[in-house]
Amino acid sequence: MIREQEFLQLAQLDRATLRVWIEEAWLAPVERDGESVFEEIDLARVRLILDLRQNMGVNDQGVGVILHLLDQLHGLRSAMGELLGTMREKRAAEREP
Amino acid sequence: MRDPYEILGVSRTATSEEIKKAYLRLAKKLHPDLNPGDKRAEEKFKEVSRANDFLSDPERRRRYDAGEIDAAGVEKAAQRFYKDYAGASGNPYETEGAYADFADTDSFFADLLRRRAQEARRARGADQLYRLEVDFLDAINGGKKEIGLPQGGRLDVTIPAGIEEGQILRLRGKGAPSPGEGEAGDALIEISVRPHPFFSRDGRDIRLDLPITLTEAALGAEVKAPTPSGPVLLKIPKGSNTGTVLRLKGKGVLRGDKRGDGLVRLQVMMPTHSDPALEAFLSSWRPVADYDPRREMEQPS
Repeated sequence: MIREQEFLQLAQLDRATLRVWIEEAWLAPVERDGESVFEEIDLARVRLILDLRQNMGVNDQGVGVILHLLDQLHGLRSAMGELLGTMREKRAAEREP
Repeated sequence: MRDPYEILGVSRTATSEEIKKAYLRLAKKLHPDLNPGDKRAEEKFKEVSRANDFLSDPERRRRYDAGEIDAAGVEKAAQRFYKDYAGASGNPYETEGAYADFADTDSFFADLLRRRAQEARRARGADQLYRLEVDFLDAINGGKKEIGLPQGGRLDVTIPAGIEEGQILRLRGKGAPSPGEGEAGDALIEISVRPHPFFSRDGRDIRLDLPITLTEAALGAEVKAPTPSGPVLLKIPKGSNTGTVLRLKGKGVLRGDKRGDGLVRLQVMMPTHSDPALEAFLSSWRPVADYDPRREMEQPS
C-alpha cells in the first residue's frame, strides 16, 4: 500500500497530472478514509503511461485507447489461463482409472 | 552484447537523431507491455534498450568506434514491466470486455465468468508488515503494545511472554481490507528486542554478571540478585570466585510449558578506594596452602 504523497514521489508525477489521470480512469486507486491509496501495479502502470507518451510518441487520446485495449487483453489472458487450467484438471481426471 | 549498431539496424555514421528514431521504431514494436506473452520480444526489447543506452553516451560511442572498449553493456536492474503486475491475480484493471459476449451462447463460459466475478469479490486483502521494538523485560514477561499505523489508527499488540528477536506475530484481519467483500489481510509484526543493561538471553536461560565484594566471596553471604521477575535472595557459598556460576531455578524464560533458569556469574570486585587496613592485612597474610593461580600457564621447562 502506497499513500498519495509517497506515490507522487516514486512516480515522479505532480498532483495535478495525477488528478487528470485518475479522472481519465487511467489510474484507479482505492479510496480509504477519504484518501487515495496505491499499489505496486499502479506504479508500473504510471511507468507504462510515461513510456507510451514520452518514448513512443503516443498522444493522450491514444494512451486511453491503448490502456483500454490492454485491460481487455489482460482480462482475456487471465480467462484463457483459467480455461487452460480447467482443461488440464479435466484431462487429468479423465486419465484416472 | 552484439554490435549495438547492428542491433538497432543503423550505420556507424548514423546521427544521434537517427539512432533515437531507430530505437523508438523498434521499441514500439517490441515493448513488453504491448507483447505481454512474448518472451522473445522482451529479450529483444532489452537488447535494443541496452544498445540505445550504450550509443546515446557520445563519449562511450567515440571510444567504441575507436576500438578502445567493447560493447559489454551496462546492466540495468531488472525492470518489472506493467505486464508482470497485470498478469498476477487480482489485477483491478482487467476487464471482461473482450469476451463477455461468449457467455451469452456458451454455458461453460457463463460459469467461468460467474466464478471469476465471485473470486474477485471474495479476494482477501493484502498482508501488511510492521516492525515493533520491545523492551528486553517485556519480551520475557509479555505485555501490551500499541502500533501507530501509517494510514492513521492504532493497533493493539499483545506480546506473548518469551518472544524472541525476529519472531513474527500475526494479527488476523488487521491488514489491508479486501478490495471486494472478502476478508481483510493480516498484520504481520516483526519483533525486535532491545538489549538490557545487565541481563542477556541464552535460549530459555537468563544470564547475569553479579558483582560481589571480597568479603562476600571469602566468607559467603546472602545478597539480593535481580531477575526479570524481580529481585531474589541468592546464597553465595563461602570461597566463591569470579566466574563461579550459580543457578536460580525457574528464574528464566517461560517457553512452551518449560521455564529456564537464571544463571548468575559472580564477579569479585576489589574496593574502589585503596584501603590501608586491607593492605596491612594482606602484606602480613601468609596463605596456608599453595596459592598460585597462574601455575597452569607456566611453560614446562
